[in-house]
Amino acid sequence: MRKPGRAHVFAALVVVCVAGAAIYLLVASRAPDLAPAATPIGTGHVEPSARRVALNGMSAPARELLTAAGVGSRRVAFRDLDRGDTANWGRIAIAPLTAREPRRLVGSARCERLYVRAGRGLCLAKGGGFGTLYTAEVLDARFHVVHRIPLAGIPSRARISSNGRYGATTTFVAGHSYNTPGKFSTQTLLLDLVHGKAITNLERFHVTLDGKVVDKPDVNFWGVTFARDGRHFYATMATGHKTYLVVADIETRTGQVLRDNVECPSLSPDGTRIAYKKLVHLAPGTPAIWHLHVLDLRTMKDVALAEPDPIDDQAEWLGNKLVVYGTGEEIRAVRADGSGHSVALVTAADSPADLD
Amino acid sequence: MYQVQNSQALVAAHRRLFGRRRARTVVAPTVVLLGLTSLFTDISSEMVSTILPLYLVYTVGLSPVAFGLVDGLYQGGGALVRVASGFVGDKFRRHKEVAVVGYGLSAVCKLGFLVVGGAVGALSSIIVLDRTGKGIRTAPRDAMISLSTPREQLGTAFGVHRALDTTGAMLGPLLAFGMLALAPGRFDAIFVVSFCVALVGLGILVLFVQNQRDDRPADEAPAVSLRSAARLLESRKFTLVIAIGCLLGLATMSDGFVYVGLQHRLGFETRFLPLLYVGTSVVYMLLAVPVGKLADKLGRLKIFVAGYLLLLALYATILVPNLTPVALVGCLVLFGLYYAATDGVLMAISSALLPEETRGSGLALVTTGTTLARLFGSLAFGALWTFAGLNVAVIVFIAALSTGIVVTAIAGRGVARATNA
Repeated sequence: MRKPGRAHVFAALVVVCVAGAAIYLLVASRAPDLAPAATPIGTGHVEPSARRVALNGMSAPARELLTAAGVGSRRVAFRDLDRGDTANWGRIAIAPLTAREPRRLVGSARCERLYVRAGRGLCLAKGGGFGTLYTAEVLDARFHVVHRIPLAGIPSRARISSNGRYGATTTFVAGHSYNTPGKFSTQTLLLDLVHGKAITNLERFHVTLDGKVVDKPDVNFWGVTFARDGRHFYATMATGHKTYLVVADIETRTGQVLRDNVECPSLSPDGTRIAYKKLVHLAPGTPAIWHLHVLDLRTMKDVALAEPDPIDDQAEWLGNKLVVYGTGEEIRAVRADGSGHSVALVTAADSPADLD
Repeated sequence: MYQVQNSQALVAAHRRLFGRRRARTVVAPTVVLLGLTSLFTDISSEMVSTILPLYLVYTVGLSPVAFGLVDGLYQGGGALVRVASGFVGDKFRRHKEVAVVGYGLSAVCKLGFLVVGGAVGALSSIIVLDRTGKGIRTAPRDAMISLSTPREQLGTAFGVHRALDTTGAMLGPLLAFGMLALAPGRFDAIFVVSFCVALVGLGILVLFVQNQRDDRPADEAPAVSLRSAARLLESRKFTLVIAIGCLLGLATMSDGFVYVGLQHRLGFETRFLPLLYVGTSVVYMLLAVPVGKLADKLGRLKIFVAGYLLLLALYATILVPNLTPVALVGCLVLFGLYYAATDGVLMAISSALLPEETRGSGLALVTTGTTLARLFGSLAFGALWTFAGLNVAVIVFIAALSTGIVVTAIAGRGVARATNA
């Protein structure tokens, strides 16, 4: 009787491990992850495919809300998240809000985040060179890719200025720890959409807080929203476990803190109010909870919106009276003054952008 | 056809495979085997720690701010476990078995990530367990390296181990990024592959590494008790080494601060930051063995002090307002060389001062002391940067490091001879 040598046992172990890893990887690479980017908070079960024809604000409360706000004839662009049609998962779709007309898929890109404004689009898509897993694709008015800008990290937010000249992207970046190994941070880039290149990282702006320039190792920025003047923008700055609303000037590369606890701001078309997500619950070991609020920049009065579910999204305005946002499953709308109820506008979709 | 009989044969076969001629100084097979175990384990653990922040934030939906809180779990916990595992290894003279528990625990945790999915509480426990495994394995592993090496080769042996270890730490993130490019968003695949790689490392340890045999009859070998381990601290030379390690550790900022500091000076894009880490690792990997040999030849404390002088030079360059890209490459060489001259060399210095029977406890005390000192140092650096700005923080640390180096050079003269080959 011969006992198998240790080298044989080891060889067998290596074979099993390599084969196991290779097979799992092969299977995984053929079935890419279709989960929504962030954990869908709230419920809302999606029936596969049935909704492809049914939907688009056809519910009576939705129609009423949109008509009352004078935006009944608007069209929106969004990411299509139809689980019954995985071939088109994440593609750009357009739909009129109240007409009985199905969504129309446009372009060929599949996006993780999407924004459309002023005849330009920003699609944060998977792919790129080694080490850059995601790319910001700049789209023209016909949704053709005209520029590609490599991104570090995983896409979180995308916005375009109202003149179409600037874009901004926020990504989650790992690998460069500040004081602790493995810590993550965000990176927010200001983009030149005309020439298709990154202008600067927001961390290079000089932001003042209480009269002093912030120079701290843990500063992060996210969630840019552009002002109509084509020169200023608002964004969230975080340092020391606190978040701040910052208004910044692209030309002077400076900014000032306006207020704390404001994340992912979105400026109303008339430039008077900021819709944002407010952190209301934070504890170790549990997911954070944000609720949507609107801040009046003239009076600094803050009002909670009538959306009962926690929301983790950068809201979009539909006119000056309505705010729309994604829950991870569907796009909803709610009045910007805190009254009424939220209604579903488009199911199986996120990243809404007003096209008109 | 040959039959691989033992570890020596495996190492020889390994050497044949890579077509290397027999090196002039041959380190013990145990050292190479432990190095290979570390290589695979580091590939496995670095794969996961590279993607863990993204996983927590992106898939689990943890807020960026909450992540900072969970991140605190990473720290501190390992210290007590490390000393205990060093002591247990000494007491029962079973360093290998203790190390197997540590490596095994971390391997199982990789599957744990897969099983618990998005449950945040359970995920935190797995992270803590994973860290505990790392705490358990360090001291017995270093004890085995030093026990299987003749005194005059300690620097080389630790150099060989650290070179292999760093290779793994460098390959892990690359593998993880490659896999995410191949199967975007499939974090589960990374956990599975990480587990498989960890099993290979564990297999090398379990199948080929042997505890150092003690030829003395049981009644002659000194019994190890808590008291005898505590007596280590009565040795003036050894406590001096711990004190020096802690002092210099307190004046050291974490790697992340060095890289971000350099980025502030040069203003390159954030996506190139990981390249700095890779550059430093390559230098460290290539130079760990030659610098370890040099330490054996010229004097370990000398090389150790020289390493910290290089770090001092690196800190000084962070103060230079406009760095050129060439200077940046120079910085990475300095940084890698600093690691090669200090990390394994400190273990060699300590090993030479410690009796065999309490080697594990002693090395655990050194690593725990220096790790905690470095943690405090980094926290202090972060606070200084926050309240006084980057330049002030760097200047304070240059002053502290200079003081530490002078103290080491003066106070270390007494131990220098005792720690050399």
